[in-house]
Amino acid sequence: MAAPMRQLVRSVIRLSHRNVNVTAAGVSGRSGCCWGTPSCRCFSDDRSTHFGFETVPEEEKAKRVYKVFENVAQKYDVMNDAMSLGIHRLWKDTLLHVMHPQPGARLLDVAGGTGDIAFRFLEYVRSQQERQKRRATRSMQTPSWQDISNNYSTEDEEGPQESRAVVCDINKEMLKVGKQKADSMGISSGLSWVVGDAEELPFDDDQFDIYTIAFGIRNVTHIDQALQEALRVLKPGGRFMCLEFSKVTNPLLARLYDAYSFQMIPVLGEVIAGDWKSYQYLVESIRKFPDQEEFKHMIEDAGFYCVQYLNFTGGVVALHSGFKL
Amino acid sequence: MAALLRGLRAGRALRGLGSVVAAPTTTNPQCGGLRRGFHRAALRLQDESKSDKPPSSSSTTYHEHYQAHSTEQDTATASEEASRPNTSYQDQSGEQGEEYETEEQLQARILTAALEFVPLHGWSMEAIAAGAETLGLSSASTGMFYNGAGDLVLHFIAQCNSQLTEIMAEQHKQVQLGQAEPKKTADFLRDAVETRLRMYIPYIETWPQAMSILLLPHNIPDSLKHLSTLVDDIWYYAGDRSTDMNWYTKRAALTGIYNTTELVMVQDSSPDFQDTWNFLDNRIQDVVNMATTAKQVQSTGEAVVQGLMGAAVTLKNLTGMNQRR
Repeated sequence: MAAPMRQLVRSVIRLSHRNVNVTAAGVSGRSGCCWGTPSCRCFSDDRSTHFGFETVPEEEKAKRVYKVFENVAQKYDVMNDAMSLGIHRLWKDTLLHVMHPQPGARLLDVAGGTGDIAFRFLEYVRSQQERQKRRATRSMQTPSWQDISNNYSTEDEEGPQESRAVVCDINKEMLKVGKQKADSMGISSGLSWVVGDAEELPFDDDQFDIYTIAFGIRNVTHIDQALQEALRVLKPGGRFMCLEFSKVTNPLLARLYDAYSFQMIPVLGEVIAGDWKSYQYLVESIRKFPDQEEFKHMIEDAGFYCVQYLNFTGGVVALHSGFKL
Repeated sequence: MAALLRGLRAGRALRGLGSVVAAPTTTNPQCGGLRRGFHRAALRLQDESKSDKPPSSSSTTYHEHYQAHSTEQDTATASEEASRPNTSYQDQSGEQGEEYETEEQLQARILTAALEFVPLHGWSMEAIAAGAETLGLSSASTGMFYNGAGDLVLHFIAQCNSQLTEIMAEQHKQVQLGQAEPKKTADFLRDAVETRLRMYIPYIETWPQAMSILLLPHNIPDSLKHLSTLVDDIWYYAGDRSTDMNWYTKRAALTGIYNTTELVMVQDSSPDFQDTWNFLDNRIQDVVNMATTAKQVQSTGEAVVQGLMGAAVTLKNLTGMNQRR
């Protein structure tokens, strides 16, 4: 018992030393690497991208990301709660409030994995519909015979108004976990699970009202391709929403956040999920992702309008939103 | 200050009597497209050598531009830039630029379309969603309106104000051309307020809800601004050119009349709101009486003071105090 603990402590110290050295290099290299990546493809032969702080060939990144999520799928939700101290639920709830979906809206949740956003979406829309129905019944307390007979004939018009959510993920393990969650929660109607790549969605054009990608877009190899696919599958007037870890603006908070990310999170990963490397990749990939303004420009370049972002928890998480007009 | 406002008013009247949105775009700073217009124009300058695909002049709606999607990554973004609708920066392609609309214009169109659903859904996001759907946009586009129902109400008020300004300007022109008799001030005010309040008649059922929305703290600055420009416009076309305290008292009086008449109208159930117009007549008469009474009081006061002075001098003469001994 003591020996593995000692080994664990030693590996913690070793890895934390490596992080301290690599963080400085990673931060300075990040700004060059990020914009370099799309042009790299055209102007040079070796197409490489970042996998955390490592540089890997592009084809390999997708495979390695797949393996990461395959490993963590079972413990994904538990780890989310542990790492963010449950705050990720608030972030996702706020996403839904900002989204404010109308009844009958169709949602595509990409990299939705375990289905958090889709479940919240269905619940939100259902409670909205209930509230509307209650308001309607309250306003017609004494219906005439005409109204009652009309209501009987229009009762099956709820069908077209039904909201639907499609959860799309590249990783079958994550979808499996999501399906189990749905079964245990008893949600069955209005939800579909599709395997698909964010860079090449298996859907027709102009299908969805809302496209969300929560904490998934930083794992995509070609972010601009994913943005263009989002533009394609959205209906005119549709909304793109991306919840993602981003740059913390406050310097004090940034230091605390860095310390927490690199010291605590991989340890939690090892203890709870038994996988240090995956959570090391997680915190490194957060550092590699463009900051709020850069990502906003990327979204605008893809063709979205009225792009804006909101910072949550001091910039730890940012919600970007754009419209296909 | 009055002169400055008058100058602004003249500028506004010249610029756009026909424009629907009279309010400045401070309600939607996030959607300001001027900076992006520059960015896009700069990109277009670069891309004119690569692809001379002209912007499709047949598309007046946004979702038709997507047919430009090509397979190559970098030219795809470039050609999409070239065929995307322009914003207010239109130097590059004058004639083609005018067919495209800005985000603000699209929002104005959505809100105007939403007005016809207000009797059904009230002043709410559902009405805006229904309006967006009639234009062929997804209901998710309501997310553009961060103030929700407040945006709709303020848009409607701005529209009514600009309609009233048009009507008054037209009447003014008629008087200038000698084709109509100039009205007395009291009659002019009465007609202007009645015309303006009649614009509420189609929405009178839901108007209390709109008034309560306007009283929300974050809407108060905007609603006060609309009210003050309305009152100012009415007085200007009534012929007021005062530069002293009268400027303030006149506008304060008219604001009081307008607000109280609006309140009376909301709970009026007489045919064609006859009670409201009677109330309006009486209030304007009160103000006119008040003005004449004020003048009378002032002259009476002067006369009384003079009389007292005379009496005092006489008394002094009688008692012999005036004589120099």
